Amino acid sequence: MDELDILKKDWQKREIEHPKLSYNDIYKMIWKKSSSIVKWIFIISILEFVLPNLLYLLPSTRERMSIYYTNDSSTFFIVLSGIQYLVIFYFIFQFYKRYKEISVLDDARTLMKNIIKTRRTVKHYVIFSLSMILLTMSLFAASFYFDPNMLTAVYPNEIPEGLTEEKLRTIMAISFIVVALLTTALLALIYFLLYGLLLKKLNRNYHELKKMEI
Amino acid sequence: MSKDLEHAFVTELENNQNIVHKVCTLYTNDRDAHNDLFQEITIQLWKAYPKFRGDAKFSTWMYRVALNTAITLYRKSKRRVNTQDYESVIFKIKADEYDETEELQLKLMYKAVKQLGDIEKALVFLYLEDKNYTEISETLGISEVNARVKMNRIKKKLKTILNP
Repeated sequence: MDELDILKKDWQKREIEHPKLSYNDIYKMIWKKSSSIVKWIFIISILEFVLPNLLYLLPSTRERMSIYYTNDSSTFFIVLSGIQYLVIFYFIFQFYKRYKEISVLDDARTLMKNIIKTRRTVKHYVIFSLSMILLTMSLFAASFYFDPNMLTAVYPNEIPEGLTEEKLRTIMAISFIVVALLTTALLALIYFLLYGLLLKKLNRNYHELKKMEI
Repeated sequence: MSKDLEHAFVTELENNQNIVHKVCTLYTNDRDAHNDLFQEITIQLWKAYPKFRGDAKFSTWMYRVALNTAITLYRKSKRRVNTQDYESVIFKIKADEYDETEELQLKLMYKAVKQLGDIEKALVFLYLEDKNYTEISETLGISEVNARVKMNRIKKKLKTILNP
């Protein structure tokens, strides 16, 4: 008889020495809020879908956005944001579909796989969003450089002494690109840290199960 | 109707709470964490309850939900201060039932099991609960052969922990 079988004999007899919960204790518990990782993924994902779009509602952002529509590149930006919204709706639909597939009644491996799939949708969404931020900002920077109306729209004052218009355009374009890179990097860092921490255990266990199947 | 459902669920869980307590004991190290995990498992069981009814025995279904919650869904919700050596409380052996050597051996074994990884613990737990390999493989989503292979490895691992 090996160790585990000795343990088994004891285990079957054993009642865990934990205070037994009463009917009322359990009844109270079923109304408590879950703090499962699936719930967290849901909350964080909804925030990820909603927050960037809320930015457009701020008056200052809207004002800045109006620049898009007052210069030559406007059609381009309108089409771009149209495509962006289509893709966002596609991601939301995918996310919802996968989220619904998560069931605690599945076997452990399927459950983990479905959670990872749901998270992957959000990950792709985040990569898409960040690329869009980067792309929009770069296009913005480019139009600063090439479109003189753009500069006048953002910088209506006289050009400061010692600066040529071209220099000012270059400075504007470069600062836009730097800000774009920093923002994207920061958002990416926050995102990956957040999910890295949240899913550390799940990833570890999923890999262990997968390893068994090789 | 929903009152009936609540009543049926709470009664079943009250009667079968030992299964959940055992899972909590394996996966947590102090009383607060134990209660926290118990609560999360209860919530998950309750959420899944409408889908369960009638399908299988309540206890069979509990194993799956409880383990899924412990291995996958549960996150420690708060920082805790470790107040006491919890294992020694939970796995205390009643002195009149066992002789001293056996008591010590069992204690060491429980300690060794607690050192295993999450998935290994799940296998051991189902094994200790006298589940066969078909049930173990279905609960974890691995093949029966692999469940056996893994179990043998765990037994060896436990031996190494016990006799370093």
